[in-house]
Amino acid sequence: MSSDDELAEQLRDGDEKALRTAYERHGGAVLHLAQRLLGNRADAEDVTQLTFVAAWKGRDGYDPGRGTMLSWLLGIARRKVVDRLRSAARDDRVAESVRAQLAPPDGRETPERVVDRLLIADELSRLPEEQRRTLELAFFDDLTHPQIAAVTGLPLGTVKSHIRRGMANLRRRWEVDGAASGSRSAGSTRAL
Amino acid sequence: MQHLDPDRLVLLALSEPPGPDESDHLTTCAACRHELADLRDVAGLGAETQDVRDLPAPPEHIWRAIAADIEQEQPARRSRPRWLIPVLAAAVAIVAGVAGTVLVNRAPVTARATLAPLATVPAGAGGSARVHSDGRMQVDVRNLPLTTGFHEVWLIDPDDLTRMVAIGSLTGNRDSVLAVPPGTDLRRYRLVDVSDEPHDGDATHSGRSLLRGTLTS
Ligand SMILES: [Zn+2]
Repeated sequence: MSSDDELAEQLRDGDEKALRTAYERHGGAVLHLAQRLLGNRADAEDVTQLTFVAAWKGRDGYDPGRGTMLSWLLGIARRKVVDRLRSAARDDRVAESVRAQLAPPDGRETPERVVDRLLIADELSRLPEEQRRTLELAFFDDLTHPQIAAVTGLPLGTVKSHIRRGMANLRRRWEVDGAASGSRSAGSTRAL
Repeated sequence: MQHLDPDRLVLLALSEPPGPDESDHLTTCAACRHELADLRDVAGLGAETQDVRDLPAPPEHIWRAIAADIEQEQPARRSRPRWLIPVLAAAVAIVAGVAGTVLVNRAPVTARATLAPLATVPAGAGGSARVHSDGRMQVDVRNLPLTTGFHEVWLIDPDDLTRMVAIGSLTGNRDSVLAVPPGTDLRRYRLVDVSDEPHDGDATHSGRSLLRGTLTS
């Protein structure tokens, strides 16, 4: 499996196969984001199409040093969703602003929450196997460290170290990629 | 001030309750509070990833739409672009029955084009094309560069150069009579193009145009 660096290089060389790979890897996440934000499958599919076409046209602008390919694609998708909502608002002469549509009432999730969740899921899937499984037991099953040690048969010290390293990895990715995708850059969504 | 141990902060973020000393420290230390809040955010997101870690594969029909858009974007990027093969096949079938069978066409001319050489072609090359009301097209060329393959005539939409119809290949004579496929909109497919095609079995435009001219009525 080629890294984002290799994929970016192939993309810049105009290799359509690289875009196909990106689609296979991240198309599901882009579609999920669009569907969550637009609440409508047809529009979400349109936005997914627009996102990858825009990624192709703007392929020279992707810098793997600034974030993962997923965060770059989700950033594009967010902008396409906003465009779609704006034009829908225009078309329907809806009085409510785009901002109102993008900042759902309390209890409903914000765009950046959906983006962050996808980014963290992606990073989790990249962690070394044992680190990932240890974190999943803590996250999903709410197990304490001694319980995880009992379940996995790993020494307690190893469990702690996996959790600590894993959390540090996720957090770093969250900080870097959140900025790259625009999910936490200077209060972006609220300012949309 | 002694900050909380990083390992301990991770534990606290993963819903372990703080002890009394730790609580005291957190109420007075903004740095540790901030650190814990960040770790809790990450842990919360981590717990939510259960919903998105096995997303379904994205559908093929969206990919086909993406691929089609990209093809349209870049008609001249590759040396052998993929043109509209289905239209082409239909055109070739019609041409086979008609080309070269009419020496003098008495049907009135409805559109004509002067064919000028492209920059890569000797300036002495040129020609003309005339479309008659019965759908036949007479193409007259001179001084075309020699080819090891053949010369093909196309009608192209100048507003979208990936859209074209193959009309037929020129005979060795000066004049060739070809047939415009019925239903071809000549206001749209108004750019006449003569290309050099190799005998490679590829029915698409080679990308090597020799002459071009625009039909006017
Ligand atoms: Zn502290």
